[in-house]
Amino acid sequence: MTAIHLENLVKRFGAFTALKTMDLEIRDGEFMALLGPSGCGKSTTMNMIAGMENPSEGRILFDGKDMNGVAMGRRGVGFVFQNYAIFTHMNVYDNLAYGLRMRRLPESEVDGRVRKTADFLQLGPLLKQPSAKLSVNILQRLAIGRSAIVEPAIFLLDEPLSNVDAAFRAVMRTELKHLQRQFRQTMVYVTHDQLEAMTMADRIAVMDHGVLQQVGTPLEVYNNPDNLFVAGFIGAPGMNLLKGELADCDRGLVVDLGALGRSAPLDPALAAAARANGTRDVVYGFRPERVSLAASGEGMMMPVVFVERIGARTIVHLGPDGQRIKAVFDNDVAVEAGVSVAVAVEPGSVRLFDAATGQCIREA
Amino acid sequence: MTSLATPEKVSMADLAQGDSPQAEDGGRRLGFLLTLPAQVLVLFIAVFPLLVQLYISLTDWSPLDGIGWWQAYELWNGFANYTDLMADSRFWSALGRTALVMAICVPAEFLLGLGLAILFMDDFVGKRVFYSIMLIPMMVVPAVAGYMFFMLFQSGGPVNDILSSLTGMDVSIAWLSNPTTALIAVMIADIWQWTPLMFLILLAGLVGVPEDQVRAATLLGASWWQRFRTIVLPKMKTIIVIALAIRVIENFKIFDTLYIMTGGGPGVATETISVYIYKVTQQDLIWGYVAAIALVILVALSILVSLAISRMNAGKEA
Repeated sequence: MTAIHLENLVKRFGAFTALKTMDLEIRDGEFMALLGPSGCGKSTTMNMIAGMENPSEGRILFDGKDMNGVAMGRRGVGFVFQNYAIFTHMNVYDNLAYGLRMRRLPESEVDGRVRKTADFLQLGPLLKQPSAKLSVNILQRLAIGRSAIVEPAIFLLDEPLSNVDAAFRAVMRTELKHLQRQFRQTMVYVTHDQLEAMTMADRIAVMDHGVLQQVGTPLEVYNNPDNLFVAGFIGAPGMNLLKGELADCDRGLVVDLGALGRSAPLDPALAAAARANGTRDVVYGFRPERVSLAASGEGMMMPVVFVERIGARTIVHLGPDGQRIKAVFDNDVAVEAGVSVAVAVEPGSVRLFDAATGQCIREA
Repeated sequence: MTSLATPEKVSMADLAQGDSPQAEDGGRRLGFLLTLPAQVLVLFIAVFPLLVQLYISLTDWSPLDGIGWWQAYELWNGFANYTDLMADSRFWSALGRTALVMAICVPAEFLLGLGLAILFMDDFVGKRVFYSIMLIPMMVVPAVAGYMFFMLFQSGGPVNDILSSLTGMDVSIAWLSNPTTALIAVMIADIWQWTPLMFLILLAGLVGVPEDQVRAATLLGASWWQRFRTIVLPKMKTIIVIALAIRVIENFKIFDTLYIMTGGGPGVATETISVYIYKVTQQDLIWGYVAAIALVILVALSILVSLAISRMNAGKEA
C-alpha cells in the first residue's frame, strides 16, 4: 500500500545512458505496466525501484520517503523474477517460509502463514514437493506467494510471462490480474508485450530509448498516442502512419498524401489545431481498424498487396511502396491480392503528428 | 564372432522389444565384446598391480632376496605382515600425525580458499593481477616449494627476520629442528601451496550459484550471512565435497615438500604415512611389509572417500 514517485531518474552505465530521464507517479494500489521494446530502460527502472541498482541522478520516493541508500532487503519490495528465482534446493514449504524465517518469526507463526498463503494460492497439496520440478504456472504462483507472504508494500514483476507459451499466457494473465485485485498492492509490471500491458494494467508507461514516452490508461494510450513511437508501438498491427503535407481546399483543410491523393477533410477542431501548430509537414495517422471499404470513386484507391486471414479478422496490406498501410476487416472480406480497392478512413479517428518533432497535434 | 554381432540381432525392433531375453542377451554380449579391450587395459593398469601387491603383502619378500617377485610364495608368511603392522607403533604414530596434519591443513585451506573466493566475487582494483598471483603456488613444483620453505625456515632465514622486526626482539627459532615447530612449518608450506586449488574450485562453485536466487533472498530480507548459509552453501554442497575429497586424499599422501624440508625429522616428528612408507621401502627394503601398509592405507582412504561421496548423493536426493 505505497505510492511510488520517480523524480528525474537517470541511470548511466559508464558512457551508456540506459535511462535518460524518468518522472513517474505510481499511485497506491495501482497496477502500472512499464512497456517498451528491449533496451528501453524499463528493467533498469524496475531494478532501481527494487534497489538492485542505484540511480545516477534523481530520487525514488515511497510514500514521500526517499529510498536512496535504503538496502534492497529493507524497502518492502516483493520481486518476481523473469525466471521466478525459486530456491530449487528447497521444497515449496521452505520457499514460502523463507522470508518469514529470515525475519526470525516463531516457527508456529511461520507455519500458520505459510499454510494460509498456500491455501490462497492453491499450493496446499504441493507444500512438501521439491520445487525443482514444478510446472511454470505453479512456479509463478509460488514466486508470487513467496514475495506476498512477507506483505511487501510494492510488488515488482519482471516479465514473468515471457517463459510461458502463448496459450498459457492468457490463463496466467487473468490469474495475475485476479491476484493483484485480491492483494490490493501497488504493482509494477515490466513487459515488452503490449497485450499483457493492455489487459492487466490500470495505467501503462510506454518507454523507448531510456525516455518515458507516455503514461495513461490502456485506452488513452491506444486512442490518443502522444507521439509517433507510441502510435506505432501500441496496437497489433500498429497505427498507419503516412507522411503528407497540409493543404487547403474548398472543403477545408486536407492532407496531401502524394501518390495517394488527398485525404478527406480534417475535423474542424483538428484542422484548427493543425493551423495553430504552424507546420505543414505532418504525419497522417489512423488505426487499421478504422479503415473501411468505400464505394469506388470515394476514398483512396489502393492496390491490395497481401491478405492475412488470421481467423477472427483479416489483415489487408494495401498501398504503393513507401505508403503501405494495413487495414483490419471482417474475416470473410472479399478482397484478393492484386486488385485495387477504395478505402475510407473513419473521419473522427484521424490523428495528426508533427513530422519534424513526432509529437501529436491536438486541439489545445 | 559373426554369430554374436550380426546386425539383425541388435535391430531396432529387437531393442524395442526389451522383454525378449534373446535380444537382450545378444546386446549385452556385443557390449561386453566392444568394451573388452578397455577392460583388459584397466585390468592391467589397476587390478593386476593390486593383486600383485596383495600377493607380495602376504610374503616376506625383499628385492635383496635374489628371487623374482613371482617366486615370493617361497617366503610366504601369511598375515604376519598385517599383524606386525597392527603392533607397529611407528606406523600408528605416522598415521596419527598424518591425520593431525590433515585435520589442520584441509580445514585451513578450505576456509582460506573460501574466504578468498568470496573476496574475488566482488570487483576490486588489480583483481586480475591478484588472480594470477593467487594461482602461482599451485604451479610450483612441490620439491621446489619444499626447498623454498626449507630456506625460509632456517634459523637465520627470512621467517625469523620478519618475526624479529615485527616483535622487536631477536627471534631465532630453529623451526625445523624442533618437533612442534617443524610440524607447524610443514603445515604452513602445505597450506601455502594448496589453498589456491581450494580457492579455484570454490570460486567456480560460487560463480555457479544462481544470482537471481541470491537476489531474491536479499529482497526477502536475508542478511549476508543468512544468504550464505541458506542459499550459497547448499548450492555449493557438491563442489565443496569434491574439493574436500581431493584435498583429503592429496593431503593424506603429503610427501615431497615435507621430505625436503625435514626428511620426516627431527627424529620422526614429521614422519607422515608416506614418509614412513618411503623409509621402509628405501632404507629397510622389506617390500612385503610395504605392500601390506600401502594396501591398508588404500582401503582406509577408499572407505573415507566413498563415505563422503555417498553422503553427497544422499544430500542430492533429499
